[in-house]
Amino acid sequence: MIRLWIPLLLTAGMVCAQAQDPAYEPLDRAYAALRDKHYEQAIAGFQQAITAAPARASIHKDLAYTLLKVGETVAAREQFAEAMRLDPADDHVALEYAFLCYETKEPVAARRVFDRLRKKGDATAAQAFENVDKPLRDGIARWQQVLRAAPENFSAHEELARLAEQREELALAAEHFELAWRLRTGRRDLLLDLGRVLKAQGKTEQSITALLAASRGAEARVAEQARELLPARYPYVYEFESALQLDPANEELRRELAYLHQEMGNRDAASREFQKLPERAPARPATVQPILLEHDEPGPDAKAMAERSFEKGYLNDAVRYLRSAYETDPADFGVMLKLGWTYNILKQDREAVRWFDLARKSPDASIATEASQAYRNLASGLRRWHTTVWAFPMISTRWRDTFAYAQAKAELKVPGLAIKPYLSVRFIGDLRGSVRPIVGMGPQSLSERSIITATGVATPVKHGAFAWFEAGVALPYSGGSVKRDLRGGFSYARAITHRRLFAETTDDVLFVSRFGNDTLLYSQNRTGRRLGESIDVYWNWNATMDAKRQYWANTAETGPGVRWRWDALQFSVNFLRGAYLRNLGNPYRPNYNDLRIGIWYAFSR
Amino acid sequence: MRSLVNRFVLLVCAAGLTSSHVLAASFSFQVNGTERSAWTEALESLGLHEAKQGSADVVVLGAGATGEYRSRLSRGTILILEGDSPVAASFGIRATAKQVSMRSIVDARAPKLAIVWEEAVSAARFDVPAQATVFAREKWGQAPVLAGFRVDAGAVLWLATPLGARGYSRYPYLPQALTDLGLALPFRSARLWAFFDSAYRAHVDLDYFAPRWRAAGISALHVAAWHYWERDPEADAYLEQLIEACHRNAIQVYAWVELPHVSERFWEQHPEWREKTAIGQDAQLDWRKLMNLTNRDAFREVSKGLRDLTTHFDWDGINLAELYFESLEGHENLARFTPFNRDVRAEFASASGYDPVDVFSVDSPHHYSRSAESLDAFLNFRAELARKQQTEWIGEIETIRKTKPWLDLTLTHVDDRLDTSMRAKIGADTSKTLPLLDTHDFTFLVEDPATTWSLGPQRYPQIAARYKDVTPRPEKLAVDINIVERYQDVYPTKQQTGLELFQLVHAASGAFPRVALYFENSIAAADLPLLSASGVIVERAENTSGKWVITSPRGVGLDWAGAVLVDGRPWPVRGAHTVWLPPGTHALQATAQEPLLRVTDLNADLKSATTLPTGIEFVYQSSARALALLDREPARVEIDGDAAPGALSGTMLKLPRGQHIVTITSRSDTRSAR
Repeated sequence: MIRLWIPLLLTAGMVCAQAQDPAYEPLDRAYAALRDKHYEQAIAGFQQAITAAPARASIHKDLAYTLLKVGETVAAREQFAEAMRLDPADDHVALEYAFLCYETKEPVAARRVFDRLRKKGDATAAQAFENVDKPLRDGIARWQQVLRAAPENFSAHEELARLAEQREELALAAEHFELAWRLRTGRRDLLLDLGRVLKAQGKTEQSITALLAASRGAEARVAEQARELLPARYPYVYEFESALQLDPANEELRRELAYLHQEMGNRDAASREFQKLPERAPARPATVQPILLEHDEPGPDAKAMAERSFEKGYLNDAVRYLRSAYETDPADFGVMLKLGWTYNILKQDREAVRWFDLARKSPDASIATEASQAYRNLASGLRRWHTTVWAFPMISTRWRDTFAYAQAKAELKVPGLAIKPYLSVRFIGDLRGSVRPIVGMGPQSLSERSIITATGVATPVKHGAFAWFEAGVALPYSGGSVKRDLRGGFSYARAITHRRLFAETTDDVLFVSRFGNDTLLYSQNRTGRRLGESIDVYWNWNATMDAKRQYWANTAETGPGVRWRWDALQFSVNFLRGAYLRNLGNPYRPNYNDLRIGIWYAFSR
Repeated sequence: MRSLVNRFVLLVCAAGLTSSHVLAASFSFQVNGTERSAWTEALESLGLHEAKQGSADVVVLGAGATGEYRSRLSRGTILILEGDSPVAASFGIRATAKQVSMRSIVDARAPKLAIVWEEAVSAARFDVPAQATVFAREKWGQAPVLAGFRVDAGAVLWLATPLGARGYSRYPYLPQALTDLGLALPFRSARLWAFFDSAYRAHVDLDYFAPRWRAAGISALHVAAWHYWERDPEADAYLEQLIEACHRNAIQVYAWVELPHVSERFWEQHPEWREKTAIGQDAQLDWRKLMNLTNRDAFREVSKGLRDLTTHFDWDGINLAELYFESLEGHENLARFTPFNRDVRAEFASASGYDPVDVFSVDSPHHYSRSAESLDAFLNFRAELARKQQTEWIGEIETIRKTKPWLDLTLTHVDDRLDTSMRAKIGADTSKTLPLLDTHDFTFLVEDPATTWSLGPQRYPQIAARYKDVTPRPEKLAVDINIVERYQDVYPTKQQTGLELFQLVHAASGAFPRVALYFENSIAAADLPLLSASGVIVERAENTSGKWVITSPRGVGLDWAGAVLVDGRPWPVRGAHTVWLPPGTHALQATAQEPLLRVTDLNADLKSATTLPTGIEFVYQSSARALALLDREPARVEIDGDAAPGALSGTMLKLPRGQHIVTITSRSDTRSAR
């Protein structure tokens, strides 16, 4: 009975295995064909089995070995590569793959795999590696020796570059491909080699430069090969310019750049390039692809192109690419925001406001917030009446007092008039009412305790500078008579940043009628580093001087500070060590310490 | 009595046979409304003939063609259409409004092959019918550029553009597309030589490959012999297997030696004999590691090695290849310039009074910039040295031939007639070497110099014409086509394949008695099935009153099924699908008279053949040992009237070199069975 059951169980097991393994049947056929040396049938069977069980490395191996029988070495290599991918621990497959790489003119891959395997202790791989590497080493040394004796030997540069590339000494290869090309600039294929090696080095921009030069003006084959290695997008203007720096005699490249400028409306740039061309009316190259510019068929990386154009300062290009990207995806709020900023930098604020307005509707909170803020800032500037309000309450340990300064200003924008008239209300006051009043000393500007209303005019801000003048009256709110108040001045503000480092200055020259027609100069400077998105640490360098040479108005201060911004609020703490520059009539010590804690708040509408 | 029996056998056979005939091949083509010369060159390279009148099997129509062609397709015509035309539209091939700039195409047969046109072509993007097979597309936009489909008994093949000026300019695999659509090529040749490097075929099944090589028209492999210079059991076994597989398929095997490169191991073992470049480095140039054969000790050691190599294996010939100096850059690149070994320098110095190194030393009064005579003296000395070495090694091989008289000798020598700079560059001087043909028996294989690889197929007739002027033995000339990635700016493929290869082979076959291909592994698999057709030279192919009349200067194979009468007599040289004809004009017609014995394949120049009452008789000529395959084992073999039992091995005959008459008697049991 048992004898009967065993074959039945085995049969059932086999049937079950066949039923469960979709590759069983084609594999069975493949092996049968292989036994009979019917290789084509065996290959077809293995291929069907791979379709049924693509992740089984053993089938790829068997297919590879069968392909080798019929001389399909490249196809066999690809199957070994797949088997290696599926089973990275199978060193035997890796070795087979490496040998086939070498046979099929892929020595770099072969050497790489041999190297990996020899480091694992494989003696065959070690020998194979040496067989591959030694001729390369020797060859490189031999050609380097030749070049020491004859640095202009073109052949030696080229040979050396090729051997170095095979040995993955890419920097050496790039160096000698370029030197070889400079010796024979007619050999455009060397630019292609150079571009390929630079690309392998990860030097994308340099690679594009060489490949772009190779893709224009070269033989059709070189041009097409370069095109394969170049990004699918159309090149940027600056890439054309870099390529022309490398290959200034490349007329086709220059012609295309000229036409590209023309397409983009850069007439001056186009004209400059046309003038460098020998022909009077150069033929329009077939390769100019104004696709993105005409919004005909926007490419998938118009955004990337816009980004690069923006980074390189080609703002008009950036706008064109961004608009093209927007047409591709009208719901891309990031593109709208970028358009807003680009127009803003181009000083086309009406356009900028329109795009910020669209972007602030973004479901992405960060885009919406940034766009809203930008919109508010810009939109207010575009209104006929532009209102600015700021306030700066501050505690000073030096004066042991709390001060408050504030101003509300409504500016009228008159079309055609550069100067902007405005109405202003200022508030100046402190808690103690005066700063350590001393007998015989005049009032100090810091504790005026007045509301000053005035009308004034201001020039537009240009390069961070503007001038203003206003006439009004000061209304002391703690008693005293109304006084005429004339004031005016020149303000300059400038900030520069490098990565997270910054330096900024605000300088004011101020005339005030109320203190004996005095003129003061305030210069406040900070150099520091940004921590995170909203905290700055810095060092202050302040100076104050006046025309009347008052002791209180002639000081120099320095010391650390920190500030923290939150939306329209800015909280600052500064510890300053100061010195009076004039001590005549100074009732205080010539030096002082001052801890200033203030909150700055401002908004515009 | 015997003749009566044979007649009876023939009659019995005839009763059992259906009518035999030429297979359904296409013989003729017509070209209307487009570049005739390009199409003629392309289609003639496949063995087709232009039909001057009447209907043709293949009809080419240019853009704008009109007319009714569907009825022709029902009779088996293959219609080739270029671009846009009412005829194309009638088959559903229509231009769209969109224009495509085409410079690169991708052929489905070899999608990774870079096919680039020399000039971009702007053409309409076309829609092709759903049933069409798109053979090739424009690379970047994927527009179809070569497509076709069968219609009734015929087919339509459509091209987006004209063929291009040179025939092969744009669509390398057009012939393969035609055969996919049913084109059967009528003729084949089996005269090609191919260089073979086992390093690229280490894993293959040689029994699988050998019949395919033969079907591709290869008659001899010239095997890179430096891999077998030293005895190695595994390598030796491989080579023996290769030679046996080739012989079983009537393919001769030559030992291809590349002196002064000997072998890797020889280089390692004898650093003292290494050749030197002009800057004093060991002359390891590309893959070749050159030895100093001027040195007598080195010469003796290499000579001993060559004898060992040739006697150890059953070679059919020896190819003494490229025995001169380096490099193609000449003295422009001293790092590659040879020979500057001590022996050569001493020999030159003793003759001229100064070291040849001085000719290239800038400080020397003999520097070539100051003394053109010094340079000429050295270049002359070098060319003469190359000739002396060639003569010396031919002598060595002739000595070996005394023990192996069937061995052929081929001298592979770069052409310096078309490119006259070769003498100065590498010391190759055919004007010195060719006269050796008067005193030595060898084939002079002209190697295409790398500098001319970019020139078209028409260079071969030009090269041949120049050699006819310098040798009275044109029948001893052969030419080599290098199928390699060319360094020049060439189109449409970097390495010759498809139509370009076929046109090259065809032009070379017309100009030279023998064509060699470098090398077997570089022939694309897609080209192999059509290669034998491209080597065909047929001057006339006509069907008159049921008879085919074929004129061929070098003999040809015709696609044929069943028994055949040639010039009215039963013909015994016929394989399964091919009847083999000797040179000249011959008339063929189908018959029921099957001969008693057939030669199914013959690797030799067939001069004549006769069916005898007892068997067959044929005359051949061969520069190497000839190989013949029979359809059955015979009873007896006679060569020039003498019994030659040693020539027979089963159904294979190994026959002596030269011209001979072979008489083969069939077995009596064969006769009675028939």
